[in-house]
Amino acid sequence: MIPQALIDGLIAGAVIGLGAIGVTLTYSILGFANFAHGEFISWGAYFALAVSSLLGYLFAGLATPIGPFSFGWSLPIATVAAAGLTAGLALLADLLLFGRLRARRSAVIILVIASFGAALTLRNLLEFIFTSAPAYYTRSLQIALRFGHVRATPDQLFSLAVTAVLVAALHLLLTRTAIGRAMRAVSENPALAGVTGIDVRRVMRIVWILGAGLAAVAGVVTGLLVQIRPEMGLDLLLPLFAASILGGIGSVPGAMLAGLIVGVAEALAVQWIGAQWRAAVAFVILVAILLVRPQGLFGRTE
Amino acid sequence: MTPQPTLPVPDAPVLATEALVAGYERDVPIVRGVDLAVAAGECVVLLGPNGAGKSTLVRAVAGLVPILAGAVRLGGTDITTVPAHEKARYGLAFVPQTENIFARLTIHENLQIAADILPKPARSRRIAALYDMFPDLVARPSRRAGQLSGGQRQMLAVARALVAEPSVLILDEPSAGLSPKAVAELFARLNGINVAGVTTVLVEQNVKAALAVGDRAIILVEGQVCHEGPASSLADDPIVAELYLGARRARAAGR
Repeated sequence: MIPQALIDGLIAGAVIGLGAIGVTLTYSILGFANFAHGEFISWGAYFALAVSSLLGYLFAGLATPIGPFSFGWSLPIATVAAAGLTAGLALLADLLLFGRLRARRSAVIILVIASFGAALTLRNLLEFIFTSAPAYYTRSLQIALRFGHVRATPDQLFSLAVTAVLVAALHLLLTRTAIGRAMRAVSENPALAGVTGIDVRRVMRIVWILGAGLAAVAGVVTGLLVQIRPEMGLDLLLPLFAASILGGIGSVPGAMLAGLIVGVAEALAVQWIGAQWRAAVAFVILVAILLVRPQGLFGRTE
Repeated sequence: MTPQPTLPVPDAPVLATEALVAGYERDVPIVRGVDLAVAAGECVVLLGPNGAGKSTLVRAVAGLVPILAGAVRLGGTDITTVPAHEKARYGLAFVPQTENIFARLTIHENLQIAADILPKPARSRRIAALYDMFPDLVARPSRRAGQLSGGQRQMLAVARALVAEPSVLILDEPSAGLSPKAVAELFARLNGINVAGVTTVLVEQNVKAALAVGDRAIILVEGQVCHEGPASSLADDPIVAELYLGARRARAAGR
């Protein structure tokens, strides 16, 4: 049972990690805890649902399942579109709300409270458009593959692989490219980054695009493996923050590893103490890390 | 489209401010109508007591403090409203007084960040040139900049500012917090940079060291130019002594 809980935890943790990367980037580069990030996950899932449904309607062949998976080509195509649309939504939120507050040099707490407002608006808008009834990308049944004592569906393995590729690509972007260096520079000292020739506003736009794009993928994975609901992002919010703080604010590998830790801890809690305590695990991890090592696993003390 | 920097007009100052008023709040200007003209190749030292507005003046020129009125010209081009990051592309380099390196990045990444605004083929050539100029930095380029000593940090900050081959280099109190030996090394290096043709504006509290490298000194008091003259003659000027002893400041300002 324990190995199965570990594999289930890793799969749930991959989603948490993808979302936590966006939270940690926003926190370190834009300078505030964005409580609307969970909504980007939900909107990403629904954008993909709308696009894949449309593609399936227009081109029936695209809805035919690919090999062992439960979904057809319409879903990967829709995921790319959803990442773009969610990035657009994040840029719109920045244009209408967060950017204006930054221009007024508003205190961080105002940005945080504004993000609560944005989250409520986005969530209710989603419920208004799509209703609160659960939705699914596919209703095809999958036979789980057996690996010794553990089982995993092809969809679950595919989701883990996609997450690993995205995290590796983002890590390389941050450490090996000019835009990655610029992002790390803005995270440390926006004023110095500016006089060094970095367009800080462009970097902030890229952070929104990356964070929201990854959130959309996290939404699609959750929708594929569980179900699509307007509250799916809200339910993930506490684990996202626990993972981004546990990993160390600003650390992409830290957020991913911490996401996996939170996911596994939740799965083991279900196994050992009961499913009703699952949600409490992220909270306990969050409090413990703030007490014991506030800079997180990969964070540095200034 | 970004306007292209223009070449300096002959005999025109490379850097000039015209009746510059700057400050964080509109009704509380810190710099109050400063006219500054720095000729090509010149090293100008900005002196003045604490709170005179020296740092605010150079930070406004660099784009870090709002300009409330007046103008800034670089090589004859009006850069008053140009954002800070564009000013680097126009040939203006600024070294802030504190937090002037990216401590979490490596030495090499600090230089790469500055080189990223150059055309690709020129980047590694410029970084190599800076390593030649600052041999202390080349020993461990993958070392985190935050691990450097105070003097090494200032050298890295100056090196970072020089990567993009600026026409004007502005330094805000580079000697603050350094040991006498590090100050001597730094000023020798700054002198060499200026001699090599980089127009330099230096804000300093270390009057003796600054006047030794400067061609001309400008004294600010309460946000306005109070006195100026050749650096060599100001070294023994009683006004300078009075300002830095903090005595009879008002009378000095009225002269």
